[in-house]
Amino acid sequence: MLKQTNYLTKVYGLPEGWTLATYEREARGYQAARKVLTTMSPADVVNEAKKANIRGRGGAGFPMGVKWSFMRPHPTKPAYLVINADEGEPGTHKDRTLMELNPHACVEGCIIGCYAIGAHAAYIYVRDELHLSKARLWGAIKEAKAKGYLGKNPFGKDYPVEVYVHTGAGAYICGEETSLLNSLEGKRGEPRLKPPFPAQAGAFGCPTTVNNLETIAAVPTAFNLGCEEFSKLSSIHHLNDGGVRLFGVNGHVKKPGVYECCVGLTLRELIYDLGGGLLDDKALHSVIPGGSSTPVLRAEDVVHAPDEKSPLHAWHGKSVLDVPLGVDTFRNMGTMLGTCCATVMAEGTDPVACFHNLMQFYRHESCGQCTPCREGSGWLLRIAEKLMDGTCSMDELNTLHDVANGIMGNTICAFGEGTAMPALGYLKKFRKEFEAYVKGERKGKDARLAVGAWGQS
Amino acid sequence: MPTFKLDGKEIPFEPGDSIIRAAARQGIEIPHYCYHPGLSVPANCRMCLVEVKPAANQRAMMLDIVEWDAALGDYRPVQKPKLQPSCQLPAVEGQEVLSDTSKHVLEARADVQEFLLLNHPVDCPICDQAGECKLQDYWLDHQKTQKRMRDEPVHKPKAVVFGPTIVYDAERCVMCTRCIRFMDEVAKDPVLDMRERGNLNEVFVAPGRQLEGHYTFMTEHVCPVGALTTKDFRFKARVWFLRSAKSVCQGCATGCNAHLDYDPRYNKAYRYRPRDNEAVNKYWMCDGGMLSYRAAHVGRVTAAKVKNKKVANDAAVAEITKRLSDAPSDGIAFVLSAQHSLEDNWALRELARLAQGGKKDLRVYVTGAGPGYKDDILIDEDKNPNTAGVVELFPTLRPFPQLIDEIRAGKVSHVVALGGVTPRNDPEDATALAMVSTLIVVAAHEGALTEAAHVVLPATSWAEHSGTYVNRQSLRQRSDKALEPQGASRPAWEQLRAIAVALGLEPTWTKLKDIRAQLAPTSAEPQAAPVGVPQGKPSVAPPTAP
Repeated sequence: MLKQTNYLTKVYGLPEGWTLATYEREARGYQAARKVLTTMSPADVVNEAKKANIRGRGGAGFPMGVKWSFMRPHPTKPAYLVINADEGEPGTHKDRTLMELNPHACVEGCIIGCYAIGAHAAYIYVRDELHLSKARLWGAIKEAKAKGYLGKNPFGKDYPVEVYVHTGAGAYICGEETSLLNSLEGKRGEPRLKPPFPAQAGAFGCPTTVNNLETIAAVPTAFNLGCEEFSKLSSIHHLNDGGVRLFGVNGHVKKPGVYECCVGLTLRELIYDLGGGLLDDKALHSVIPGGSSTPVLRAEDVVHAPDEKSPLHAWHGKSVLDVPLGVDTFRNMGTMLGTCCATVMAEGTDPVACFHNLMQFYRHESCGQCTPCREGSGWLLRIAEKLMDGTCSMDELNTLHDVANGIMGNTICAFGEGTAMPALGYLKKFRKEFEAYVKGERKGKDARLAVGAWGQS
Repeated sequence: MPTFKLDGKEIPFEPGDSIIRAAARQGIEIPHYCYHPGLSVPANCRMCLVEVKPAANQRAMMLDIVEWDAALGDYRPVQKPKLQPSCQLPAVEGQEVLSDTSKHVLEARADVQEFLLLNHPVDCPICDQAGECKLQDYWLDHQKTQKRMRDEPVHKPKAVVFGPTIVYDAERCVMCTRCIRFMDEVAKDPVLDMRERGNLNEVFVAPGRQLEGHYTFMTEHVCPVGALTTKDFRFKARVWFLRSAKSVCQGCATGCNAHLDYDPRYNKAYRYRPRDNEAVNKYWMCDGGMLSYRAAHVGRVTAAKVKNKKVANDAAVAEITKRLSDAPSDGIAFVLSAQHSLEDNWALRELARLAQGGKKDLRVYVTGAGPGYKDDILIDEDKNPNTAGVVELFPTLRPFPQLIDEIRAGKVSHVVALGGVTPRNDPEDATALAMVSTLIVVAAHEGALTEAAHVVLPATSWAEHSGTYVNRQSLRQRSDKALEPQGASRPAWEQLRAIAVALGLEPTWTKLKDIRAQLAPTSAEPQAAPVGVPQGKPSVAPPTAP
């Protein structure tokens, strides 16, 4: 259901929209943090936050309030809040807009988050190349400090909170939360073994909550509206998927961008109503719903959920484009909501070229720590390259799913699944196109990833 | 003791055990590369994955994969359970774990094995690890398929010199990080790390450093494959021609348990490897110790000598009889050696007792190597393997410098000594030793004593006989025979018996077992030996490393 909102994005595009003055004037800036710190206990904050049904915006969709409730005070160690702003998923570009255009929402979210989980310091981990994001965040921190919203006594409360921006070198794997923690500590960005989970031993061995940047930025809005009210903005509130979020759309659409809507938006609305339809009004070929790790959906796919208990049953037999974009709805469709930034491909896009493109990315970004991902991602790319070169045999094509199966679930972190799922997704949905490459009916040099005006180049 | 089920078999475990460790204690190996009982757990090789049956009120976490259905001409969706690394997974009472009986586990192992060999050069004929390589063993056990990737593998640096002792081949490396973790956690010198990403990963030495220090050989030993090789053993032998004897390192008083690998065809020792013993050296040895196998061949006394001229053993014994017959009965000094075994020293003590007719005030001294480098890891300051042993045999031992003083004072004219080396390399000592009228030495290795001796009888080294050594913890440890005696050497206790017989005495030993029967167990023993560690034998250590 298309319901555009502007809680997070009200200051987007305003002159000096990223400043404290604008934030306070236009977006009830820091009212939520003031209310929380001056009138609520941390336990109340966590309980209230649970009602907001904010599903983690980083891709896994874990309920934020529940994650906060895992934090237990440690007798000797401090707790930390770490904000994952290492937005590296191909096709994802939502956190960056928040950092650049509404950095105060991020900082305010950090204050509430720190208070809720018992932390006095928050680290916002940003990719190196996002220079404007870092500058805007630091600027916001400085302004908030000057006003007394951050520091020793935020809002007069004896609860010190500091927020720091930490620069990462820009590796995709550092978006994995434990890898991010290693990188934050100055170590090689390799995922850690779990358990212990960050809530037990995270940054510097201390209890830590890692939240995605958009997740934390949505917190002030939730507390301003009342968390339950916030959750009810969503049309799939009953699936514990609440509130508003940023929806991104990119690829072959007329108006690629980031749009704030109530949760429950469908792909069709995202592509045609918000994205303005496809370039040159071409037909839709396929959509990667939420970042490159989420398996692709074809335009003609329909929901198959005859089981009445399935959360998808209401959409049984309908097009996948009409299912609300939700964590549980999309998981049950055999794909994932991921970061909720859809990559749209118009008719004429070559799925094998897409597959090749994705495999290049995963081969390049595998940290190499554990065997299946280190070797498997390279092998997948090799076969993809041979397909594009026209030298792939049928035997090798038939090896592809074996390789992906061998990576799936056998790795330390979710990067393995992130590689195997899109690979299997493309194979399952476009086997005929893959075969055409093996048989020489299609050739890599003719393959197009871009259409319309871009496709000419 | 709590138990869990592994493939239906009850496995007892101690609190804190991982599945792999508890299984290993029962003699069940779950295949692994990166796991090492003495190092931290990285769970990066993914070879030890097992399937854990969900508890009654839980659902297994399932993953969606596909199968190719040739008849259908399309993929068929199937599911597999999420597997867990058994090196990381703590054992839980009543838990049901599947290893060899799970189809999914067998598939995962085959997959991991295939991944590891994907870019491996498979250069087994020119690899020193061949024959003891986990990649070889596990290919047979867990893969047994031909290579499916027929393209040029990824190439990486080869024959990279890491330092004075170690050479690295990145193409053979499985990135298990055992070497990195060893240097970090045991040697306390984090000089190795990983660089690059994905399948270009390689181990490297910190810029401006080389892999050096006292524990570099261990990086090669913990390497499950042929990525790290020692300059010492590189291209020297095929391991399948080597035999191993359970040995005890002679380098210092720590008494590290070791395997002495030798080629019986050439009667030649090739290397030392640590033998796991939780109570002594755990899984480790130092570089000096691992190179000390060379002493089996270097500096050996292999022929009897009279005044520096080679003679037959019999002729030397006759000369000894002649020289000792006119010795004043209280003027003979006997010198035990902390370098020789308990049995050898016992024989010399008995010879002293017999020769001096039950006199109580025996003049017994001790020699051995002088002190040296020590650390908090393994290396002891005392460079003798049996100091505690000789003290046990003769608590009122006089130190070697006292012997020198007493020779100078003219109190000692005849000396019967075991072992060649002396604690210090002082020319004054040589001058003093030259003053005695008779110096008889039974020794395996050359030293200041053999240099000055009038008669030398060749003794077998520790590598050529079975002997007992008492380490700094007062643990009696047995070192087995590896090599055949070299040249005319005989065990020292045998040579000493020959002297006793020639002197008309009645020795109480003819065989090694006679000596062992008479070697009184010391009161120190039961306390010193940790529970479950039989003396002289390796403890029932958890999983043998590699």
